[in-house]
Formats: sequence, C-alpha cells, structure tokens
Amino acid sequence: MRTVHLLSVLVLIAAVGSATAGSPDPQILADRIDQHLSARFKEEKAEPSGKADDAEFLRRAFLDIAGRIPAPCDVHEFLADSSPDKRRRLIDELLDSPRYATHFADVWRTQLIPEVLASAEARYFQPGFEAWLRQRLRAGVAYDAMVRELLTIPIAGVRQSPESVFRDPERPNPLAFFAVKDARPENLASTTTRMFLGIQIECAQCHNHPFARWSREQFWNQAAFFAGIEREGDGLFAPLSEDTERHDLMPTDGKKKVRALLLDGKEPAWKPKASPRAALADWVTSPENPYFARATVNRLWGNFFGIGIVEPVDDFNDENPPSHPELLDDLAKAFVESKFDVRHVIRGITLSKAYNRTSARTHPSQDDPRLFARMGLKGLTGEQFFDSLALATGYRDRVADRGAFGRNAGTPRERFLREFAPQGKPSAPETSILQALTMMNGPFVTAATNVEKSSTLKVVCELPGLTLNERLEALYVIALGRKPSDSELKKLEDYVARSESAEEPRRLSDVFWMLLNSAEFRLNH
Amino acid sequence: MNSQFSRRAFLGTAGSVGLSGWLRSFAAETTLDPRRKRSCIVLWMSGGPAQTDTFDPKPDHANGGPFKAVETAVPGIRIGEHLPKIAGHMKELAVIRSMKTKEGDHGRATFHLRTGNMPQGAIEFPTFGSLVSNERANPDSDLPAYVSITPRGLAPDSLSAGFLGPRHAPLIVGGRTTEVGLNEVADGGLRVENLARPGSVSKDQATERLELLRDMQTEFLSSRPGTGTKSHQSAYERASRLMSDSAAKAFDLGGEKQALREQYGSSTFGQGCLLARRLVERGVPFVEVGLGGWDTHDNNFKQVQSLCQTLDSAWAALMTDLKDRGLLDSTLVVWMGEFGRTPGINPRQGRDHYPNAWSMVLGGGGIKGGQVIGKTGKDGIDVEERPVSVPDLLATICGALGIDQQKQNMSNVSRPIRVVDPSGKPIREALT
Repeated sequence: MRTVHLLSVLVLIAAVGSATAGSPDPQILADRIDQHLSARFKEEKAEPSGKADDAEFLRRAFLDIAGRIPAPCDVHEFLADSSPDKRRRLIDELLDSPRYATHFADVWRTQLIPEVLASAEARYFQPGFEAWLRQRLRAGVAYDAMVRELLTIPIAGVRQSPESVFRDPERPNPLAFFAVKDARPENLASTTTRMFLGIQIECAQCHNHPFARWSREQFWNQAAFFAGIEREGDGLFAPLSEDTERHDLMPTDGKKKVRALLLDGKEPAWKPKASPRAALADWVTSPENPYFARATVNRLWGNFFGIGIVEPVDDFNDENPPSHPELLDDLAKAFVESKFDVRHVIRGITLSKAYNRTSARTHPSQDDPRLFARMGLKGLTGEQFFDSLALATGYRDRVADRGAFGRNAGTPRERFLREFAPQGKPSAPETSILQALTMMNGPFVTAATNVEKSSTLKVVCELPGLTLNERLEALYVIALGRKPSDSELKKLEDYVARSESAEEPRRLSDVFWMLLNSAEFRLNH
Repeated sequence: MNSQFSRRAFLGTAGSVGLSGWLRSFAAETTLDPRRKRSCIVLWMSGGPAQTDTFDPKPDHANGGPFKAVETAVPGIRIGEHLPKIAGHMKELAVIRSMKTKEGDHGRATFHLRTGNMPQGAIEFPTFGSLVSNERANPDSDLPAYVSITPRGLAPDSLSAGFLGPRHAPLIVGGRTTEVGLNEVADGGLRVENLARPGSVSKDQATERLELLRDMQTEFLSSRPGTGTKSHQSAYERASRLMSDSAAKAFDLGGEKQALREQYGSSTFGQGCLLARRLVERGVPFVEVGLGGWDTHDNNFKQVQSLCQTLDSAWAALMTDLKDRGLLDSTLVVWMGEFGRTPGINPRQGRDHYPNAWSMVLGGGGIKGGQVIGKTGKDGIDVEERPVSVPDLLATICGALGIDQQKQNMSNVSRPIRVVDPSGKPIREALT
C-alpha cells in the first residue's frame, strides 16, 4: 500500500518535472513585466493601484480568456478557495477549456478578417474561418505554425479549373482569408504586414510618405508575393487559382513591373514549384524576424490591457515608439523561447501584478493609461457581451432558430452581435443611444427582467427559505460576479421596502434590470 | 454632468407646453437665432435613379425614352414630366447634370458617395451624416445630431460613424418598415426602435428603475473615470432624454394638420420628409430620408413614374413647408442616389447602373437656385462640361453648411483624415 502510494507520488513528480523542463516558468516572465513597469513608476513618481479583489480578478480573467463572465458556481467556488495559488490555477484551467479556443478564435478572426463586420456576403465565411481557428487553438498549434499554414494554404486550382473557396459553411476554411480580401495582392500584403509584423505599409500604396521608412516600391514588393493568385469571376464566392511561377506584378497606375522582395530588401531563395507565399511565410515567422514576435506579443498585451506597448498595436514606426521598449523585448524573447506558445505569454501577463491590479483609481498618477498603473477599462466584443448576457439571463439559442448557412440571422445573438459590435478604441469603449435603448426597453432584456418570463428571476424570487439579502446577493453574483457591499445592500433593502412584500418579486426584477444596464456589466474592468 | 439637467432628463419630467402656440413660437425662435447653423436634409434615392427620366431629359434622342420634358419655374430649364410639383420649385434648386464617378456596384458606390472615400484597409470611414454630427452636435439637445429615416438597403458600413465613434452614429427611425398607409404611419411605422417603454413596465416603474441605476452605479462611475464610463453614462442620459415627452413628440406626426400630412403624401417617404422637417425645426443638424426602388433594370418607365409621384409630392411639400416656416434658408436639401442609370434602354425596358454621367440636385439654404450645372452630350453618355467628383460634391455641401472641409479628424488607424478628401473643390457657382 505504502509502496504504491510512494510510487504514484514519484510518477507524479516525474511528470511535473518533465512538464516544467519543457516549458519555461511563466512566473519569471510575470516578474520581468513588473520590474519594467515598476522602474517607470519610480521615474514618473506614479503610485500604482492596489491588488484587485478576487471577484474583480475572476470576472476579468473569464472575460479575457473565456470570452464571457463567470457562472455563479465559478464565483462561489473561487471566492471560497483559500489556497494561495488559486489565480494561477484559474488561468491554467481557463486556458485548457474549450471556451479559450472559442474566444480566441473570435479575437483572431476579428483582426484577420474584419471585413465580416461590414459585409453581409463576407459573413458567410465567418463560421468556417472560426472553425479553422478553433481547431488549431484546441490542438495547441504554435502561433508561427498557424500563421505559416494560413499564408501558405494551397490554392490547388489553375486558371482552367479554379479552386472553390466556399463549399460547406461550417467546414474549417482558412481560404476565407483570401476570399474576403477579394484575393487582391494589395489587400493580402497589407493585412499580412499589419497583422503579423505590426507594420502599416499600405499607406505607401499610392505614394511615399515623407516620414515613413517604407516606400511605395516596398509595398508592391510585398504584394508581388501574392501576384499569382487570380480570382475567376466577380464576387467573394468566385473560385481561385494560383500561378506559382509568378513573382512580380504591375502596380496600379504603374509603368514598370515590381518583383517580390522581402522587407529587409533581400530576395528569398525560391523553391521550385512552391508558391512564393511559402518564402514570405518562412521569413515572416522566423525566430530571427525582428518584427513578428514583437508585433504578436504587443497585440496580446493590448488584448489584456486595452492598450498596447506600441499603440495602436499594429503601427510600429519610428514616430510611434513603445512605452516600455525593454518590456517589449523581453516579452518577444519569451515568446520565441517558448516556441511561439501564445498561452505562455498569456500566463506571464495574467500572473503579473500589473494584470492583477484593480481598475479603481486611487491616485491621479494612474490617469496615464500607458503607465499601466491601474487596470484600464475595456469594451466588450459583441460576442463577449451577448454570451455574458445569455449566461446571466439563462438564455439559450435554439437550434431551430438556426438560419441557412449556420448564420442564425434572426436570433437574438446575431442581432446583438451587429448592434453591439465594438466601435472606437478598445481602451475607450463607447455606448450608443440605440444600444442603451435596446438594453433599457428592448424585448430581450424586458423578458429577462420579467418575473413571469425569466427563469433566472423566478428561481431567485421563489426559492423558499432565502432572506431578501440572499436574493439580492444571488442577483449580484449572477450579473456582476461579486457580492454586493453592505452599503449597496442597505440601499437595495430600502428600495424593495418601498412597496408591500407581495411586490418583492417586482422590486427584485427592477434590481436585475439595473444590474444588466449598469456600466459595471457593460464593461470589462 | 449637470445634475439639474440630467435629473430632469432621467425622470422625464420635462414640462409639456400646449402644442399649437409652442410650435409657432419655437419655429420663430429657431430661425431668428443668429447662432443657428444650417441643417441638412438628404433625400437618399437608394438603387440609383435614372437621370434621363428625371433631371437630365433627352427628349430628342432615342435614349430619352417615352417621357416628355416639361418647363419649370425657371425659363429654359426643363426636367422630366413626372416631377411637375418639383418643377415649380426650380428657383430654389440647382441641378447638377455632370456627376462623374467610378463605382458601378451598389455597395461600393453607396459607401463612396456617403463617406467620400473608397474602402481602404482598416480605416473605418464615417458616413457624411456622422461627420456633420461631429461638427454640429449640440450637447444640450434632447435629440441626436444625425437621424436616418428608413435607410433601407444600406449596408452597415454606409450608416456607420466609423472612427468618430457611436456618439455620432445615426439614430435610425423606421428601419424595418415597408410602405404603409397614412394611418398606419401615425400608429408607429416611423419610430425609433425600443424608444417606447415596454407595455409590461409602468411609467412609474421605468422611472424608478432609472433612478435606481443612477443611484447604484455612482460609485463605480466615479472610481473608474474615462471614456468607457463617461460614454455609458452619456448614452443612457441621451436615450432617456429621447424618451422624454418633448423629444418623443418630435417623432409624433399626430400633431400635424391632416391637410399638410396629405400634401406630403401617404407614403412612408412622404411622412418621413415631414418628420425630417420636424427634426430640423428642432435643431437636428442632419437628417436623411430614404426612398428605395430605383434599381430599375426591368420595366424602368413604369417604376420611375410611380416613384416620381411619391417623390414629387413629398419633396415639393417639404420645400413649401420649410419656406412657410422660414426654415428654407437655413436648411440645405440634397437629392441623390449612389449613381445614375444607363442612357441606353435595355431589351427589358430597363436601365442599368451608370456612374459615368448622372444628375443630382442641391436646394435651399446656401444654394444659388434656378440653375443647371454641367452638361452631358446629346445621348447622355458622357459629361461634356464641368465634371463633378464625389469629393467635389461633398466639398460643396460643406460649403453650403459652413463646415470646414479641411478639418482633420483622428482616425482609428491614428492617421488624421480630412472631412473631405483634399482633391475636393466646391462648386463655387452653386453656392450663395
């Protein structure tokens, strides 16, 4: 018995040992982050805000990694847990959950094919593109491999028999990336450099910018890597072909053909028969590439703090220096050393003191968002917002509501995604009048805050044996992922006591309405 | 936040004043106010109206089709026979017959005309109404600065405030309505979605809920200063102001005389034009009213004739009504679609998309009326004189509204972008 026990312990130790040997300790990265930020606090005489309490951290981590608020059981479990490493364990659990893949598929899709927000046609490609991203994220494919696959996805078609870009809407489909960009070399080149290298070269498309490092010629050099791609016919659904022998193209309004050259000015080693895209992808994702890792960690940082170390996150240029250059270097280094493991960087960021700070302002020095002296407020994506609202109100999309091509065009989720698509900077989220009216008077929230129609409210109001305070607390946990403060309870007791006890459910519905309409619910804080 | 004001707005206790006397004095007050800036009403003809059958008739050419050209209030200017009432307002209108653009696809052309730009990478160009809102929004007004009435057939990117942010997004009225009769319209065909309190919630309860929200989130808002909280607070404040009796009244056509309503015509478009007048009268700087159905690939003439009837009554009534109330000098009226239609007639008696030479009309405030600008050839295929580009047109509208077309706004890609592309030169002769 004793031997068996010992043996299993030994096996466990060996397993843990090998795991840590394979992947670097994210705590080291987290400490580096805080060293760099603290150095700046000293220089600027800034006073960072205190540590966020467990509930604030829990909601933030859920929204940032799982894409929705925590369920009440998550809240109770986390608040009751007294072990010192519970935040670290939470992050690990969230990163291993299917919700991570779902949410980050949304995140990457928004950045890679923003066209789907504007164009109804492009939206047909969304399920397939997200399915491809989810599959890769779930399988833990390294970021560089994912990017290489995306850029080099074979286009098997030739001009006489081009390849279809759209067969089954639900089937994983990275070709969507090419299709929604009209398969145009200019669009593909500008997305590639902006997204993967943090360089906005498209401004050089028409003319040389006086301050920019990049020339018009270089823009067309990049576009030439995609020159062989041809769309046969009009519209996003038209099939594609590729002539892999083509390494040059004629710029719009140009007189002379421009050939494919890397941004470092070198001509890649062409492999026979291979698409020129392969040479571009190899260079872009190389550990030696000076831009790739930096651009990626900066995007990730921006995702978790609302504002990049270089901001905007995709505009690296001499006129727009990083707020913390050494921090950016360290993050990039850690990313390369982890073999481009996005989750390692996320662990490092979320374990840092910086990410664990409260968003409540405690000192005027915290007003400069680029010091990261307090957690900034972030907007929610349409998906984060609706999925949180659905969880809080107990709503489920019915399969019967699914429209053609899996687009659910008429479902509440689809309507909310359109209406609540984020606008403005992530660190300066805005709310429109129509959004406010939708939440105040719209049918979804009206039903969710009606005692007769809302299952959530019914349970909270009718579960026998609960005190009023417990019912109020339940609503806070459901909507805001925290317990109400004493002063909040006091005010709400007074509010409910305004009418007779028979009216209590109606008063509780008012409280639930108030919570769903609050800025605290609407924002990631 | 001005607590007095927001309290009034939140509680919806704005004093109501007797309608008849109030309206008259209100109109007088707004037009006499020297600080009043020009408003803009755009009549947006979705689908692309046929210039040959409306404002650039070619009766002596095979391309002209069956419609006659008729004299207008300005000797020498002739337009299509199915716009007789508008012909009577020609002294207030400048017809541009030399629009020359490049896009023949509905979506892209609409985006181009309405933002002044072609889609470019990740830049989220604001639609023109949002640009005007950004210049003219009055923080004290209960009404938004940009209202879009029945914008059917417009893609979201052509109705978006883009990088200016949702504060300047249009308030959309009657977005999902179909053509309905007069009484149905009065019952709510033209309404702001979700503006009305749900039936299951009493007025007192709604007021209490808002009070509770305001009270309970004070601490969160003050501990987290910034755009996120400020914008949330402002949106709720503006939304509840819009729900207030006086603002909601702006959308209530029931207060208008029946005879006037009938002059505008019983179509949604006609009633939308009446609503537009009510809104500019209350100081809304930019209102657009959509009329769809102009994509006449088949059976062009029958369709255009019917559309013209709707258009003619509504537009003429709007011009007269604005003039009667002394609002015409302070309201620019723009008529246009995303492109014109082929001068040649296809075998299905239709006309197809044509951006190469088409017409649009400017009228009212800031416009030197009674003239035609530009000219197409006998067959209508090419612009022969004074081609006008999209930036030229927007620069002209800026000129009439007194907006600095050179002003730069910071875009979402951190590059400043001018209100109108610097290539745009206003049509000087069209401006007063």
